[in-house]
Amino acid sequence: MRGPDLRRLYDEHAQPLFAFLLNLTRDEADTRDLLQEIFIKLARNPDLLAGVRDERAFLIRLAHNAAIDLMRRRGTRDKTREQFAAETFSLFASGADPDENTFRIALAEALGELPPEQRAVVHLKLWSGLTFEQIASALDIPPNTAASRYRYGLDKLRERLRPLYEEIK
Amino acid sequence: MNLDDFEQKLQRQTLRQIPAEWRAEILATAGRKSKAEGRKQEWFRPSSLVPRLSTILWPHPTAWAGLAAVWILILAVNLSIRDKSPGVAEKSTPPSPEVIVELKQQQRLLAELMGAHDTRDADRSRPSVPSPRSERAEILAA
Repeated sequence: MRGPDLRRLYDEHAQPLFAFLLNLTRDEADTRDLLQEIFIKLARNPDLLAGVRDERAFLIRLAHNAAIDLMRRRGTRDKTREQFAAETFSLFASGADPDENTFRIALAEALGELPPEQRAVVHLKLWSGLTFEQIASALDIPPNTAASRYRYGLDKLRERLRPLYEEIK
Repeated sequence: MNLDDFEQKLQRQTLRQIPAEWRAEILATAGRKSKAEGRKQEWFRPSSLVPRLSTILWPHPTAWAGLAAVWILILAVNLSIRDKSPGVAEKSTPPSPEVIVELKQQQRLLAELMGAHDTRDADRSRPSVPSPRSERAEILAA
């Protein structure tokens, strides 16, 4: 029984999974743990990807489930730690333009205020480039739900970031 | 669906890169865990039983042979004792006709006693009707 090519899987999928998990957990150490957990699962179950048509969607589902489990485990117990992590973590790469950096920081904060289910859909639509059908398949929800979550999430971001967006446009 | 300006602006934001050092660490840990899992599965596979047993027994063959001999001796002694000692059922002789008659008499007596006991019980279970006070006084006087 031949195991999956972990190196190839890592090179092809680790970066988008990292960004997705970081956006959901808002914590780099947790993101690393979850990413590690996913790759251990893949190594331990060589047949896990057998018959899977869309590896990316499958891995996103694994990552999403792992992140949801983690957030449930955390619960309200680690609220303080979560807030501290949200203040110190950065989701986006910083650039040379200070206005753009300010916008990125504000965007990361606004994303943090979204419910995780909306945040997941917004992330997958905007930064993973998935269609609503793909998002629905990855998160195991109907496509209409994916679309409405995206719309609600985007409206909240728009509202929250409008002043800054108008200013630097 | 066409994206509006705001969505495009969001989409243009570059996400942070995954730390480069994670790759080696994550893949090494996953590989280690996978090997450990494989070893665990191998341990329970029957085909690997003989080599594992020989690995355990090989360092002290004399001690294991001695232990096996002791067990065989205990087994042999146990079997020989069991063969010689007759069972309780074998030892007992059939009862004589006098004993059988005596037993039947005792059985009959017991049946009679049981019958009498049942009658008394039946009497006791009947709800007692309180007798008039004068009758009770007579009983006490008697």
